[in-house]
Amino acid sequence: MRFRFCGDLDCPDWVLAEISTLAKISSVKLKLICGQVLKDLQGEGIDYEKILKLTSDAKFESGDVKATIAVLSFILSSAAKHSVDSDSLSSELQQLGLPKEHATGLCRSYEEKQSPLQDSLRTRSLRLNRLDSVSWRVDHTLSSSELQQVNEPLVHLKFTVRDGDRGVTEPFAMTVSAEKFRVLLAELRQAHAMMKTLS
Amino acid sequence: MLLVLSEEHKEHLGFLTQVDSAVVGEFGRIAVEFLRKGTNPKIYEGAARKLNVSSDVIQHGVEGLTYLLTEGSKLMISEIDFQDSVLVLGFSEELNKLLLQLYLDNRKEIRSILGELAPKLPSYHSLEWRLDVQLASRSLRQQIKPAVTIKLHLDQNGDQTTKILQTDPATLLHLIQQLEQALGEMKTNHCRRIVRNIK
Repeated sequence: MRFRFCGDLDCPDWVLAEISTLAKISSVKLKLICGQVLKDLQGEGIDYEKILKLTSDAKFESGDVKATIAVLSFILSSAAKHSVDSDSLSSELQQLGLPKEHATGLCRSYEEKQSPLQDSLRTRSLRLNRLDSVSWRVDHTLSSSELQQVNEPLVHLKFTVRDGDRGVTEPFAMTVSAEKFRVLLAELRQAHAMMKTLS
Repeated sequence: MLLVLSEEHKEHLGFLTQVDSAVVGEFGRIAVEFLRKGTNPKIYEGAARKLNVSSDVIQHGVEGLTYLLTEGSKLMISEIDFQDSVLVLGFSEELNKLLLQLYLDNRKEIRSILGELAPKLPSYHSLEWRLDVQLASRSLRQQIKPAVTIKLHLDQNGDQTTKILQTDPATLLHLIQQLEQALGEMKTNHCRRIVRNIK
C-alpha cells in the first residue's frame, strides 16, 4: 500500500508496529507529546521528563517511550518533507489503524506547525559552503619598484566563508585590478538578474 | 590444542604458588578488570605492601595471569586443554581448579574485548543529498543540467569524516542498480550454501 506521507512508498514495518503503542495513550496526551516532538524537530530540544510524565498513565517502559518519540518524529518530519496536508495525513493514519481522535489530534498539531517545521527543514538541507560576509577596500597605487608613476586603483576583497561541516569561518582575501573588477561585477550582475527572474 | 608457556612466563606465574587461593582469586579479578578498563599501577603498590613483596613481582604475576587468559580465550581452547596447559606449571589441584574457573567464567567477555581490537575501515554513518538543476553558467545560458550532490558521513573508531560527491541522475540510477544487484547476490545458491555452512 502506498502512502503519501511515506513519499508514495510502503509504510515501514516498525511504524506499523508502533501505531498500536500510540493508541494506548489518550488522544489529549498524544497531542501534548506531539507538541514536544515538534519542538525537538525544530531544534529547540526535547523535555524528556515531561514525556515520561505524560506516558506514565499508560505504564510505558523506557523502550515504549523511545518508540513513541521515534514514530511521532518519523510521521511528522516525513509528512512535512512530502508537503502532505493534514486531512490526507489524518485519513492515511486512520488507514494504518490509528483511532480517529488520535489522528485528528496529531494532525491538528501538525497543521499548526507545518510551515515553521518546513522552514527549519529547509535550513537544515545540505549546503556546502556559505558566504558569511564581504568587506572591501579601494587603494590607489602611486608607484612601484617597476614603474615610477603607476596611478591605478586597486580593490581588496575579503570573503568570509562558513564551512558547512565544522561551522568555522575562514577568510579568503584577494586583490582585483580595475578592469578585472569591472568584468567580475558585470558577470555577477547578469547572474543576479537571472536569479531574480526565477524567484 | 595446548598453550605453550615460555620459561619467563612460568617464572612469573610461579609467584602464585606462594600465596593462598583467596589472593589468587583477587589477582584474577584484577586481571579481568585490567582487560576491561586498562591497567592501574597503584593497585600493584597496595598489593605489594600487603603481601610484603616488591611490586614488580605482583605486576608480573597479574600480567602472567592476563596473558594466560587472553591466549586461552583467543585460541578458544577447551577445558581439558587448558587444564593440561596449566598442569605444566606444577600448581596445586585447588589452584588449577581456580584458574580453570576463572578462564571459563570470563572467556566470553575477553573474546568480545579482543574482537574490538581488529582493524576497521571507515564505516557508513549517514548520508545527506540534494538535487540541483544548473540553469546557466558564465559561458552558456538556457541550460538544464540536473545534478545530485551527496555528503557521505563516515565513522572510523569514533572519528567522523565526510566525503562530498556529485553525480548526474543517470549515473545515480546505475549506482542504485549495481547496489541492488550486490544485495541480490545474497540470495543466490552459492551465498546461501556458504551462509548455511558458517552457521
